[in-house]
Amino acid sequence: MKSVIAYVKKILVGLWNLILGMKITWLNLFRKKITEQYPENRDKLVMFERFRGELIMPHNANNEHKCTACGICQMNCPNGTIRITSKTETDEQTGKTKKVLDTYMYDLGSCIFCDLCVQTCPSDAITWSQAFEHSVYTRAKLDKKLNREGSKMAEKVKPTANETAIN
Amino acid sequence: MFDFKVVTDWIDTLLRVQLGLPNFWTLAIEFILVGVAFLAAYAVLALILIYVERKICAFFQCRIGPNRVGKWGILQSIADMIKILLKEIISIDRSDKVLFVLAPFFVIMGSILTFAALPFGKGLHAIDFNIGVFYLIAVSSLGIIGILLAGWSSNNKYTLIGAMRSGAQLVSYELSAALALMTVVVFAGTMQLSQIVEKQAEVWNIFNGIAAIPAFIAFVIYLIAGHAETNRGPFDLPEAESELTAGYHTEYSGITFGFYYLAEYMNMFIVAAIATTVFLGGWQPLHISGWEGFNQVMDYIPSVVWFFGKTAVCIFFALWVRWTFPRLRIDQLLKFEWKILMPISLINLLLMALVVTLL
Amino acid sequence: MDNSIIKKKILSVVPDAIIEETQFITATIPSDKLREVALCLKNDKELQFDYLQDLIGMDWGETLGVIYNLFSTSNNQQQVVLKTSTTNKENPELHTVSDIWNSATLYEREVYDFFGIKFINHPGLRRLFLRADWNGYPLRKDYDTDAKKNPIPKRNQTIEDMETTETLTLTNEGVVGGSFQLFDDKEYIVNMGPQHPATHGVLHLRVSLEGETVKKIDPNFGYIHRGIEKMCEGYTYPQILHLTDRLDYLSGTINRHAVCLCVEKAIGLEVPERAHYIRTILDELTRIASHLLGWGCMCMDMGSITAFVYGMRDREKIMDIFEESGGGRLMCNYSVIGGVSHDIHPNFIQRIRDFIPYMRKMLKEYHILFTENPIARGRMNDIGYLTTEQAISYGVTGPSGRASGWMNDVRKLAPYAAYDKIKFEPMMRTEGGTFERYIVRLDEVEESLKMLEQLIDKMPEGEYCAKTKAIIKIPEGEYFQRVENARGDFGVYISSKGDKNPYRVKFRSPCMTLVSALSPITCGEKIADLVMIGASLDYVIPCIDR
Repeated sequence: MKSVIAYVKKILVGLWNLILGMKITWLNLFRKKITEQYPENRDKLVMFERFRGELIMPHNANNEHKCTACGICQMNCPNGTIRITSKTETDEQTGKTKKVLDTYMYDLGSCIFCDLCVQTCPSDAITWSQAFEHSVYTRAKLDKKLNREGSKMAEKVKPTANETAIN
Repeated sequence: MFDFKVVTDWIDTLLRVQLGLPNFWTLAIEFILVGVAFLAAYAVLALILIYVERKICAFFQCRIGPNRVGKWGILQSIADMIKILLKEIISIDRSDKVLFVLAPFFVIMGSILTFAALPFGKGLHAIDFNIGVFYLIAVSSLGIIGILLAGWSSNNKYTLIGAMRSGAQLVSYELSAALALMTVVVFAGTMQLSQIVEKQAEVWNIFNGIAAIPAFIAFVIYLIAGHAETNRGPFDLPEAESELTAGYHTEYSGITFGFYYLAEYMNMFIVAAIATTVFLGGWQPLHISGWEGFNQVMDYIPSVVWFFGKTAVCIFFALWVRWTFPRLRIDQLLKFEWKILMPISLINLLLMALVVTLL
Repeated sequence: MDNSIIKKKILSVVPDAIIEETQFITATIPSDKLREVALCLKNDKELQFDYLQDLIGMDWGETLGVIYNLFSTSNNQQQVVLKTSTTNKENPELHTVSDIWNSATLYEREVYDFFGIKFINHPGLRRLFLRADWNGYPLRKDYDTDAKKNPIPKRNQTIEDMETTETLTLTNEGVVGGSFQLFDDKEYIVNMGPQHPATHGVLHLRVSLEGETVKKIDPNFGYIHRGIEKMCEGYTYPQILHLTDRLDYLSGTINRHAVCLCVEKAIGLEVPERAHYIRTILDELTRIASHLLGWGCMCMDMGSITAFVYGMRDREKIMDIFEESGGGRLMCNYSVIGGVSHDIHPNFIQRIRDFIPYMRKMLKEYHILFTENPIARGRMNDIGYLTTEQAISYGVTGPSGRASGWMNDVRKLAPYAAYDKIKFEPMMRTEGGTFERYIVRLDEVEESLKMLEQLIDKMPEGEYCAKTKAIIKIPEGEYFQRVENARGDFGVYISSKGDKNPYRVKFRSPCMTLVSALSPITCGEKIADLVMIGASLDYVIPCIDR
């Protein structure tokens, strides 16, 4: 008799636990849906500010960037994503020659977003944008030129003591 | 309550008397009309079910589900259907070509034949056999042949395992399902579906006094066994995705896969519909003795709504179970049937017989 | 136990062993005496070095050899490093230790694959990652990587390539080569993977079935092998870091932490206290995220797809925390040599504070939904038992090993970062079944939440990164570091010649040993259980296919 009671009890306890499990899914039926409604939410979608979407070279209002074409980012890049070509320019007033940036090529297709280029850049010339919609039709379009047409290097502003400490 | 016999009789007289057609042609036209109606209903119901399942599953999983084609994605299943129709039917190297093509037809025939014998509403009943319940059980097992053929003819090790599992599973669970239905047959004293429904006019079988106890147990057993027969929910071993990729229909594509897909959903509907007919009063409205006003209000709701409403509740329950529980293992599955469900069904049948003698 | 006893014992077996003594003993053994030393270390009552943590193939230029990194589980985690080498570069042969430590079976195949060292009496010596028709041994220093001179085979690999294996047997007449077929012609072999819904990556299991019962399993790896160890040899140390996230992508942060710790130890860099705390928080968050996914995948492999979505839903909250502070989700790239790349985001602490009670509530739901479910319990109970001895011998570490009653938590045994400053208990079970492995993971999530509470309360203010030189050069030597990642004992070995690039890097993958333990515990069970037991071991394939 005892075994029969145990048998029935086992079935009933099992059934009860099944029902409790079904209660959990029932609760979830009415919970807020968690999926992102992309692309409907595109206007409201804000990526985190540190999100590494794509490498960019910020230019100021005078079409000037901060890149000195030193090549440290290129050297640090594990995948050969960055290719810098530089040219020498002679300053007309002083007659000094200096190396300036010609093209800053960035191949988004082989970038692994390791952040080494941005971390090691001595003049903070490059940074990340939060753009993540990278799809294009040909691979060639992923090879991007970061310095704008006709841009030149901004006059060096001496970093304040505060900034040096951070760097 | 509207009786659909009015419509069918009108068509019959239209053909026979107004048009003056001989008996043969009248019947031929009627058969074709009924056949087309069934095929259309079959496909439309399956499409609705696929959409409903995807939506409900998504809601259980904190998702939204299909929401691209049409408002709330309601045209999604139609788009899927078009896609499946347009897809190439891939023929498998070194497979048994004849059986391979034949298999999906067995599966879909089994389910259409069952579907055609269901009483959908008052007077909306195509074939009313006097052995209706027997016919349903017999015909719905035809599908297993298709599944076994598919598994064998695909020349794939996964499909073979899936088919063998399916065979064992269906043969076992058929017993419990049949015994559960027999419980009601014992109570009603008839196998004719229309009579079983008719007898539930006052009170549905699962609420019917002392007989409610065995009837309710039988109802639960039938839902479990029927669920197992449709290869869904915790019993989806024949196509256990994480083990056998897609089980017996791994190698099928295009419309041949579509047949399995349709049949799977329609089998779910059929199981729910049989449960409705046999245990929940079919298309009969809910009556509570003594509440005359309430009963009259209930009578105003059309019989078809009652039938599909009850079926929908059963289907929702099936979906709820499916999207909550993990899958059983094959030996546990068979143990569950032969050591738990079968004994309970047999005892329950005896109990019902006892109840019937006492009444 | 004192190092001097070990030294004495080794010298008593091999008098001409060269022994260096640092924190642990490094013994260089002549190749013909290796087995005697190994047997002595394993079987000696006092020593009991029963855990072969890693087996590292090396090309020292003149010689080819192997480094054995041994630990004693009973004697307070004593470590011994054995080295042996052979000058014969044409046909290098060493004796196997796979009969002494089971985990060596796969390790030795890996060494054979990359260095061409043949192990005498190995039960089935064939390539592990590369194809059978690959030319040369890529991790040797003289390997020509030029694709023209050393073409990569382009022919489709067929199943016949996996049918046979070679062996070397030591007989009276010397070493005799041979080969045998892995499966009988009459066996019903199912290829599970490389594309299969339940192999958690591209693992290829060749499973011999009898009905539904599994008779024999032969794992094949290498479908996503990327040669990370070879790549590391050409990279600077900061560049190596980004590869670690791509090993076991579910505990990428922890792997990266390991390499950072190893390099910092090598150059003697003092890391700020705050950085230690941030890294520890990240490690624990990663562990929770990984266990949630592991839980979800296990549920899905058992057919409960809804549970998988719930796991993913709650993991998403952790991913948000990562993304906000580190800028990435799986590839967080947050730890750098010297600390972390940024200070934590202002919302970081608040997000964790919100997450902890939420996760506790959800864990309760998980238990009701799945742990208490009679179907799930019926599947998981009394199946897939791994004994403690087996776990140690196969090197099954992490939650799976702890479920077998082996206390192998590196966080407790060799505390790193901030783990010695907080209170926690390693989650243990003794039975070693599938259910125990399952429940240990959920228990660990709970324990990690407790640790997070302490960590965010105790986190000090201050610098988040120590200053490093622009070019990091590691002084000549060999450096070991191990951490507890979500799957077990993750080890980093760096051998340096004093350059800015490492001479050799080896990652000890906890997943490889997990897969090697799959075979002994699954044979005789059903094919459905193979999937489930595999999920309970929770291996990640990119960690194996380095």
